[in-house]
Amino acid sequence: MENYIQYVIDSSVFILKGSVLTIQLYFVTILFSIPLGISLALMKISKYRFLRISIGFYTWVFRGTPLLLQLFFCYYGLSIFGINLPAFTAAALTFTINYSAYLTEIYRAGIESVDKGQYEASKALNMNYFQTMKRIILPQVVRRTIPATCNEAITLVKDTALVVVIGMGDLLRSAKELFSRDFAITPFAIAAVVYLLMTTVIVYFFRKIEIKYSIYE
Amino acid sequence: MKMIQARNLYKSFGTHRVLDNVNFEVNIGEVVVIIGPSGSGKSTLLRCFNGLEEIDSGVITIEGESFAHKDPGKKDKVTSKEKKEIAVKLGMVFQHFNLFPHKTVLENVIEAPITVSKINKSEAVSMAEALLDKVGLSDKKNSFPSKISGGQKQRVAIARALGMNPDIMLFDEPTSSLDPELVGEVQKVIIDLAREKMTMLIVTHEMRFAEEVADRIIFMDEGKIIADEKPDRIFNNPEHPRIKTFIDKITMRQSNRQE
Repeated sequence: MENYIQYVIDSSVFILKGSVLTIQLYFVTILFSIPLGISLALMKISKYRFLRISIGFYTWVFRGTPLLLQLFFCYYGLSIFGINLPAFTAAALTFTINYSAYLTEIYRAGIESVDKGQYEASKALNMNYFQTMKRIILPQVVRRTIPATCNEAITLVKDTALVVVIGMGDLLRSAKELFSRDFAITPFAIAAVVYLLMTTVIVYFFRKIEIKYSIYE
Repeated sequence: MKMIQARNLYKSFGTHRVLDNVNFEVNIGEVVVIIGPSGSGKSTLLRCFNGLEEIDSGVITIEGESFAHKDPGKKDKVTSKEKKEIAVKLGMVFQHFNLFPHKTVLENVIEAPITVSKINKSEAVSMAEALLDKVGLSDKKNSFPSKISGGQKQRVAIARALGMNPDIMLFDEPTSSLDPELVGEVQKVIIDLAREKMTMLIVTHEMRFAEEVADRIIFMDEGKIIADEKPDRIFNNPEHPRIKTFIDKITMRQSNRQE
């Protein structure tokens, strides 16, 4: 029994070390893709046709092809053209671009769901476009899109496991290594608990923001 | 002084003509009420004066300055920068209030003075408190719009518009989406403004209110101004049979509602 507890602890430490990379990739992706998603959403509904079409093409391609393929393309594919990105850079870039595509559509729908009376009131008070968006429209959009953003944030935790295909060691790969070595199910159980812990923290965090933003309803 | 002058205004939505050679003016301190059947172009006309709608052709002058000057099919001679500078002189109150739901009553009033007029926060707050006091809502300043009644919302909206210190106030059916028992409190605030000689242009369906508050009444039908007269002339001795039918119909409905 004592041996087993020691085994669980050792395995957990090994797997948690692997999860450092998962967490790094996670934060880089979230930090870049949310602001990028909001900016691209604003462009997608702008009055400039060129912008609307370009962003539309972008979300069409990145939502319409597998993330795995995009990862292959960015890491292996680009090296054919002499662009050799380090694995982490390639992964962060691919995840950010991919997740921004989904977030762009979420925020676009959020912006379009705000009543046009809000724009008219802002205009009647002589607020310009940036003041209207920053002070009036986007705060309401953030509130409305919290549940959808939370869904994306949870999916991302699990999607990070895909980086094994470009040779990176992450949480799941560490667990798999232990499994291969020991032929025991425990490492997978530990990996599941770590994933659950991460998603629980994320859900809790989003719930907090949702409550904070809900005071006005 | 002429606060608003409209000359030969035309506007169509598709093939439907909503403004058909509209000409009128509003003098300083004057309260002009626009009445007429639904779809007669009243709201559209009002919205042209602060740039929420654009005319197809005609000339709009605000306090002697050109706000829109368009020949048919040509570009406006007034630039959008010039328009913005003039639009500051007009405040607007909407049928559906359009308060900012994520901001408290006080924050709604100080928002534009701080972000647009760049006055400092403490100054904005004391001005906003005075305005909320004036519309009788000092005790609601920290409430969110979702927590107050329709009549209170509309009074906040009036305070918010006054916060930008406008010379002219535009009211687009300010009581049309209110429960009947809340109409009076909003009308009272507007009547108080009239006593202070605020220049106002009001679209409404409330005939008794129109008669009480207006210095002049404009009757619109199918995009045209049919009459521009003193209230007693419109209500007691209208020249045009169309006006009499309309007023009879609407006052009958309103007195039925009050019984």
